[in-house]
Amino acid sequence: MTPFDFQTANQGSWKELENVLGQRQRDLDPDRFLALYRLCCEHLALARSRGFPLHVIERLSSITSRAHQIIYRQSDVGLARVARVLLEDFPATVRRLWAYSAVAAALLMIPTIAIAIATYLNPDLILSIVDRRTAEEFEQMYSPAAQAIGRPRDIASDWMMFGFYIKNNIGIAFQCYATGVVFGLGSLFFLLANGVFGGGIAGYVASFGYSSTFFPFVATHSAFELTAIILCGGAGLRIGQSVLLPGRLTRVAALEFAARETSLIVFGAAVMLVIAAAIEAFWSSAPWVTSTAKYVCAGFCWILVLSFFLRRPRAK
Amino acid sequence: MIPPIDTVITAETPEGIAISMRAAGYPVRSMAFLIDALIRYTIVSGVATTLGAGGRVGVGVLLIVAFLILWLYPVIFELTPAAATPGKRAMGIQVMMANGLPLTPAGCLIRNLMRTVDMLPLMYGFAIVSMLMRRDARRLGDLAAGTVVVYRDRASPTGDFGPGDPLPPPVPLTIRQQTAIAAFGWRVNRLTPERAEEIAVLAADAVPGAKDSAVAARLVGIARWQHGQRLFMPRSPAEGQT
Repeated sequence: MTPFDFQTANQGSWKELENVLGQRQRDLDPDRFLALYRLCCEHLALARSRGFPLHVIERLSSITSRAHQIIYRQSDVGLARVARVLLEDFPATVRRLWAYSAVAAALLMIPTIAIAIATYLNPDLILSIVDRRTAEEFEQMYSPAAQAIGRPRDIASDWMMFGFYIKNNIGIAFQCYATGVVFGLGSLFFLLANGVFGGGIAGYVASFGYSSTFFPFVATHSAFELTAIILCGGAGLRIGQSVLLPGRLTRVAALEFAARETSLIVFGAAVMLVIAAAIEAFWSSAPWVTSTAKYVCAGFCWILVLSFFLRRPRAK
Repeated sequence: MIPPIDTVITAETPEGIAISMRAAGYPVRSMAFLIDALIRYTIVSGVATTLGAGGRVGVGVLLIVAFLILWLYPVIFELTPAAATPGKRAMGIQVMMANGLPLTPAGCLIRNLMRTVDMLPLMYGFAIVSMLMRRDARRLGDLAAGTVVVYRDRASPTGDFGPGDPLPPPVPLTIRQQTAIAAFGWRVNRLTPERAEEIAVLAADAVPGAKDSAVAARLVGIARWQHGQRLFMPRSPAEGQT
């Protein structure tokens, strides 16, 4: 059969599929559509293997690929699905990859505690971490005399700090995650660096006897913020492991798999960080709330977060 | 088989056919990026001017807007049916899954989160190296997400070879030779006669006896013959149907 005869004999069905593709998806007759699609796939395979002219192949591949996109399209994401992803799939994924989060927690918390003790005993050490001006700023931010705790004197708007925390903290979390692709080194670095910085500030401020403002300030939102950064760092380590030790897959395939596995964690962590930013801007910094109230609220938040990840029924 | 030298990438469907896509390379994607950068810059500076009077609440809102523009601008636009940011749309390219399906929300999220790495060490250095080294021009974020940026519109050949008579091939041709000649026959109308002749000379073995100046015309004749045209038949199936 020459291409000419082939085209004459079959272009009726091609035209019909083209017309069907032009219709709205609701009006499709599924059986007829699938039958036409399979027929055109067969024609395309024939045309390719027989080396038929380009315009026949191009036309067939264009209509089959459009039909393919409609047939295999994944179902739409509705609000119900977003809720299910956040409340069920997110904690289930975290539990499944708990070992990575545990390593990330150690990488963040060990330097935090070690440096906090060191700067508490020797406040001058802070100058190896930040410069003098920043250190003074932090000292003044957490002074019990501060108008609002945890922010420089000249910046007093809750809304402004909310914006700042969102931009800054979610950025840090995304960095901890994505830089994991460099053999896990990026996640490693950002976890350690944030631990050193946070611990340094905590020890330094505490050494001035400002514990009564600093610790109630960080206790509440850290339930969400620290956890989210640890989760992102852990997800980044998982990404790094896939590139470093891909196992039986190719590196690209392993990376693709790990990224799909961990994307939920980053999505959930971003939501947690928005919650953390709101608490940090509007609650933690309020000087009129007593320390006791802040500690009670903090305890409640930590229990909430931990039980969210530990007590959800295991996903099937 | 000889590896293809162009940028067509294929994905196999369950029906056993290969869907082909034309990957968008580094130059067109950087143009799209520049257009997007301009739009983002305009939005942020517009918001900054408007909110300048808003005091500290204004600064807070500005920071949130800057955050959204930085991280969510590409995500939101790529999840629309066009699967492209305004810059990509202007350049005629779009994002797809590498398996030929429409972009999924997870794929979109991952490829844009991974920008953080593609930006390293400086000025999207990793992304540029990755795009230039791969035939499918995927950056690290594309690799992680399983996505690919492709041209949206494809040239639609008509099968019109122009005036001329079909010519039986003087020697038996392999299927690859036939394919090459058919492809040449379709493209010849878009080339200058001199360029067409230059290309045709490469296939001179297939048409022994042709004069030096007439190789292109004879190849087109063979393409017609392969297509099934004969002297006593109508020129195209459309005419043949009536």
